[in-house]
Amino acid sequence: MRLFTSVLTPLFCLVASAAAASDYHEQLVLKPLPQNSVLASFDFKSNTSVAQFEAHNFRYFPRSLAQILQHAGTRELHLRFSLGRWDAETWGARPWHGTKEGSTGVELWAWLEAGSDEEADQKWLTLTNALSGLFCASLNFIDSTRTIRPVMSFRPEGDHPNTTMTNMHLLHGVLPREVVCTENLTPFLKLLPCKGKAGISSLLDGHKLFDASWQSMAIDVRPVCPAGGECVLEIEQTIDMVLDIERSKRPRDNPIPRPPPGHELKCNTSKPYNSHDTCFPTDSLSAQEWTISQVFGKSMKGTCPLTDPAVPPVCIQAPHSRDVFTSAGVTELKVKENERCYLAPAEDDFELVLPHMPHEGENAKSDADEYVKPETPLLYAERSFTGHGQQRGGVQTIFTNPSPDTEVEFVYLESLPWFMRIYLHTLQARISHRTGSDKGETLAPEGDVIQEIYYRPFLDRERGTQLEVRMRIPPASTVFMTYDFEKSILRYTEYPPDANRGFDVAGAVITITTLTPNGKTSSLRTTGLLLNLPTPDFSMPYNVIIFTSTAIALAFGGLYNILVRRFVGQDEGPEVSLVRLKGKIRAAVSRLQSKTKKPGPPGMAAEVAGGKEKEAAKIE
Amino acid sequence: MKLSGMFQLPVLLAASLLATVSAEHTNNWAVLVGTSRFWFNYRHLSNVLSMYRTVKRLGIPDSQIILMLPDDMACNPRNAFPGTVYSNADRAVDLYGDNIEVDYRGYEVTVENFIRLLTDRVGDEMPRSKRLLTDDRSNIFVYMTGHGGNEFLKFQDAEELGAFDLADAFEEMWEKRRYHEILFMIDTCQANTMYTKIYSPNIIATGSSELDQSSYSHHADNDVGVAVIDRYTYYNLEFLESEVKDLSSKKTVGELFDSYSYEKIHSHAGVRYDLFRGGADAARSRLLTDFFGNVQNVEVDGAKNATVDDEMLALSRTIAQLKQIAEEEEAASKNASEGPKPESKSYKNLPSAKPLNDDNWWVKKLVGVAALAGCTGLWALSSYLESSA
Repeated sequence: MRLFTSVLTPLFCLVASAAAASDYHEQLVLKPLPQNSVLASFDFKSNTSVAQFEAHNFRYFPRSLAQILQHAGTRELHLRFSLGRWDAETWGARPWHGTKEGSTGVELWAWLEAGSDEEADQKWLTLTNALSGLFCASLNFIDSTRTIRPVMSFRPEGDHPNTTMTNMHLLHGVLPREVVCTENLTPFLKLLPCKGKAGISSLLDGHKLFDASWQSMAIDVRPVCPAGGECVLEIEQTIDMVLDIERSKRPRDNPIPRPPPGHELKCNTSKPYNSHDTCFPTDSLSAQEWTISQVFGKSMKGTCPLTDPAVPPVCIQAPHSRDVFTSAGVTELKVKENERCYLAPAEDDFELVLPHMPHEGENAKSDADEYVKPETPLLYAERSFTGHGQQRGGVQTIFTNPSPDTEVEFVYLESLPWFMRIYLHTLQARISHRTGSDKGETLAPEGDVIQEIYYRPFLDRERGTQLEVRMRIPPASTVFMTYDFEKSILRYTEYPPDANRGFDVAGAVITITTLTPNGKTSSLRTTGLLLNLPTPDFSMPYNVIIFTSTAIALAFGGLYNILVRRFVGQDEGPEVSLVRLKGKIRAAVSRLQSKTKKPGPPGMAAEVAGGKEKEAAKIE
Repeated sequence: MKLSGMFQLPVLLAASLLATVSAEHTNNWAVLVGTSRFWFNYRHLSNVLSMYRTVKRLGIPDSQIILMLPDDMACNPRNAFPGTVYSNADRAVDLYGDNIEVDYRGYEVTVENFIRLLTDRVGDEMPRSKRLLTDDRSNIFVYMTGHGGNEFLKFQDAEELGAFDLADAFEEMWEKRRYHEILFMIDTCQANTMYTKIYSPNIIATGSSELDQSSYSHHADNDVGVAVIDRYTYYNLEFLESEVKDLSSKKTVGELFDSYSYEKIHSHAGVRYDLFRGGADAARSRLLTDFFGNVQNVEVDGAKNATVDDEMLALSRTIAQLKQIAEEEEAASKNASEGPKPESKSYKNLPSAKPLNDDNWWVKKLVGVAALAGCTGLWALSSYLESSA
């Protein structure tokens, strides 16, 4: 077996290098992460020669997308659908160095070929609307208030001839509120040559994908010109998701976790109160057993017949000491340290089983056997709101450079909505060095941190704020960047139906220009923010109507009464019945009083009765 | 423009007369609209999605279904069943499934967009999948559900569609020859009031409840935590699922309407036939598959003697010829453009982000000082003039 592998490995490498020129290939990389999570990275790459593309001949390149790109004069396109938060503290550096990641919601940026900014805007409108129809997302909401033209953050990834380069316009838009759900996955799968029916794409299921702790769907289209070869247009579709193994193993029809029966509970026996009826459950941190069909809810149905057969469809990045069992007919290749790949049979179902790894007992395993230690990212970033109240607020972003010896340089880009009016003069960066002891904190002038700022102020209802800051952070230090802003009051009709939920602010894009060990730029996104604006009581107009109606009724009633009434002296007018009624009541009361004080002579009672008769006659 | 409009009028009139002669529809469309946001209105989305599954089951393709979902229930954090929507507590059918295309969602579901969709008054940039591309041979099934009242239907708790707006939209559709027949179905409180104002021909309308009657939900699912379907829609689906199993079903619209009863729905479902050509009898005898299913018969213009292969050959020859012509034209235009360059239009470029820097610091400060000094001078001058006066 060993000999076989050693022979196969160079052969495989040879084939893999040839595969780069092939038209379509797909690969799934599984990477166990700490705390019983697993990162699944799906990668689908196909290409077509530019000449074929322009002649409208499409084989692997999706026609529906190609026509949109041609119609809108798009030279390079990047589209992201993301959900959740990447936990960098636990999971380490991001997959693909963060280049396939988007802000929460939908993010789109593209290079359009246009003679002027206005023409570019027109093409951008066409592009966003067409993509909204294709991907079932509200991309048409990317209007001028959400569109920015970043200066430093993005560079074209493809190879563009210098002639088109001068006419290319970069436009960028984010929709932080956009939900990502099955209706976005459906068109994504339809763009693939195997359409989710065979190969690794058959594992993609909305029920698991949108239940993941973090997920990002990406589409990148770029021209690639290999040295001396013909230029090709490459489309790369990737899906990255972090699955919580325990959560994704729950059955579809009964996903609500219920407490396990008493005899299945694992108790922490070190507790003093531990007894046969008292239990403090232990955290089961040892690796759980999982299989591909369990975590994805489906098993893989053969390989995609259109894919390059030399590229193994499934790889797993785990220490070789981690046991992995496969279904029959699967060939294992040890590609490099901590990575194994599997060649699947074309027709049969493919299955991988990663058994339970007990931390105790005879074959005790440690965490190091379970997963590869996550790589430390170049930079940690988190952003939050500060301040309180309905009028003002602040934003604080904390950058941490974990490296003990290298400084990190990056571009921080924010695209803020117009109703968040930032005060640029309050922008400041405070640096705290983590020298030997934690307490050693020195403050450095911000000039050392902030290198360059590009800024485009907002215009009410027309465009948002664009802020790009190039920063440099020395090794082992933390930078706090803050600025203040004021909240606008919107017009009544500008509030969305769920205004009290708050307004989403897109995550900041951080492009790290310090190269990774592999010589690539990397990027990351902060989480989005939820901004609470002063929100009116939406029943207010009705209250106003009712209040004014009441006021008018009162005023009008009184005035009308005064105008139409004729005023006369009391003796001139007819005898008012109310006065008579009053007199009658008074007489009755006085009679009652006299009755209760002392029983009167019978004659008096008769007189009273006579009076009553008289009065009754009068009334008639 | 006016002149051509005058010429068009008789043509249009003649055409509309012809349209009344032609009896059959050639394509089917469905407009399915939910109008309620927020989690507790889960049942309205499941109503719409059940109708979506039914029309899809009976063959209407996604490209001819306009689905409007105002909120996200499937991927809602409050949903214990991620990626799924159920319309029954037995949870047998996942309505969201693996293959769904939502055309309008979230904040896009507004009264304006709905009216624009019906009347096709949309911008050039609107993609085809979000348009109702019907013609005078289209049968349209319009289903709406949400919270309503006397002659209105609320959209997302923020705005209302009035019965008059709806009636006028249908009339505009009729004038633009955008439908052949419409089945309008609505499930809200006081639903029957919504169709009372419609005055355009060939519309069968039905609603769940009379004026001053509520439309009730059918049952709740304890794990989902809210009611999952409304009674009226539930019994409609029950009929459609048990009686209309496939396109060969001969069940009529009348039979569906007869199945409604107060005992089941807990409100008085209403029907309106008077707009339909031929009245109640004609309307009642329409097949349910005329509205819920996709039409199968294809109309061929005239008989052709040539075989398909010959046609294909001729077609490919034409394409080759056209390509050649296009190439020649391109070459000619290239030659022409090599001569004098066309004058490039001067466009106004938008202001882009500017770098913030400390260039000309002294100049800026001096300008500031000068402005301040100017103001002070003006103030001094005015106070001097005032005191001297």
